[in-house]
Amino acid sequence: MVSPRTPPTTPPAAATIRDAIARHAGADKVPTRFKIIADTSDFFRVDYNDVVVLGERTFWIKGYEKEGRFGLDDEPKYWVRRAVDLTSGATTILKLVFHERFETRIGEVVITCFRSPKKEARILDLVAAHPNFMHGSWTQDAAGNIVRILEYISGLRYDEIITTYGADHEEYFHRFFPGVLTDYIELVQAIKFLHDHGEKHGDIRRDHILRDSERQVNRWIDFDYTYQHGESMFGFDLQGLGNILIFLVGRGDVLVPDLYRDQRQVFDTLWGEDLNISYKNRVANLKKVFPYIPDSLNRVLLHFSRGAELYYETTDQMLDDLATAQAALALHTGRGA
Amino acid sequence: MNTQTFGDLSRRDVERHLLVAVDESENSRRTVLYLADFFGGLADVFITLLTIIPEPSEDFFPTEAARVKWLHDRRAVMEQAMADYRDILFAVGLREGQVESRIIIRPCTSIGAAILEEQEKLRCCIVVVGRRGISHSEEFVFGSTSNHILHHARNYAVLVVE
Repeated sequence: MVSPRTPPTTPPAAATIRDAIARHAGADKVPTRFKIIADTSDFFRVDYNDVVVLGERTFWIKGYEKEGRFGLDDEPKYWVRRAVDLTSGATTILKLVFHERFETRIGEVVITCFRSPKKEARILDLVAAHPNFMHGSWTQDAAGNIVRILEYISGLRYDEIITTYGADHEEYFHRFFPGVLTDYIELVQAIKFLHDHGEKHGDIRRDHILRDSERQVNRWIDFDYTYQHGESMFGFDLQGLGNILIFLVGRGDVLVPDLYRDQRQVFDTLWGEDLNISYKNRVANLKKVFPYIPDSLNRVLLHFSRGAELYYETTDQMLDDLATAQAALALHTGRGA
Repeated sequence: MNTQTFGDLSRRDVERHLLVAVDESENSRRTVLYLADFFGGLADVFITLLTIIPEPSEDFFPTEAARVKWLHDRRAVMEQAMADYRDILFAVGLREGQVESRIIIRPCTSIGAAILEEQEKLRCCIVVVGRRGISHSEEFVFGSTSNHILHHARNYAVLVVE
């Protein structure tokens, strides 16, 4: 259970808020009308230019963030609002309470997922000093909702950065991938940190890694999801890590229809067992497409293929194999970690 | 007639004591029916019916009251299933003193590991589990309790009923 926070006090007067906005944004930016909201239970009520009061702190609401999940790109997330902290002037992200329970499907597997503000608050406390996670604090609004106040991260999605590396895959793999693998291992170690503390990330996807341009470090974001696990508590997280690794090694998703269209001779060598266990249209056995991939690295990928007989149960098992692959890659490319 | 009871752990190494891991599924019912068919009428066999209810995280519920209700409902479902399983075993001649049921609610990251912990405590000579016949990808994401038990069992037999 997360620890209690100081209950909110009486909201400041509108005039005080106008002064604060003028101080941070300029007098001409002060809105003529806005609501002062202390109870965020109905997050649809929180409009652009409104002010949310959380204890002693006030936040001037700007736009909302967007969802990139399940093909719902640009779907607005009305409970995740960009805001200006009127005490410090810093841009922050406010995540309001949205309890959601839904089923997602990875291939033929149905997974029951939950969105949990409590979980994210607990993990924010846990990773406060860890460089590979988003940082922030949390508090309760006037109605007791757990609101997370996240530091804004300047930077791009990591997956969008790496796909710009190299003129083609071969150049990418030999020149850039050793560094990418080092980055990836650091990210897996961060997930191990969560698992070692009994926590799941819950929503490991490649668009949940941001490259912080100020700190020059990759950071996991969005850990309010959790899922109902079976025998393997961390299996879904590991599946996400595997899909990201396949993407990074392939410099993007290597899709079966693309191979059929553009590289028929490679397509003809593929078997069902070579495909991604979660996504049947993606190739996991990338050595068949890029023969210069070392065996030790490809063996890690094969753990996430339909032909896999053995699965990773822990990040430790995966990290051991990645260390072997990294050493082989250094020999192969002449580029160390 | 055998007068041994469940209270005497010192005799566990020499008696025929089965630990049967069940839930409310049709698969578990089939497992109990199989055991009834196989061991019915034998006076020196003891059967512990075990179910593990993993204590759900607070993350899955908006309130503590919802979590408590879920646990209460889950326990009620399992109590009903256990009563059904006991009736199946009694119907083939096993006596009250030969069948015990245990419903364990506990935090656990692995149901298989929790079952094996119970085996260590009770020193049963056979662990019995059903197998759902899950798909390759389902096992990949969720893992398999029966596989966990098969891989980690030491010094006792494992019976997997499909």
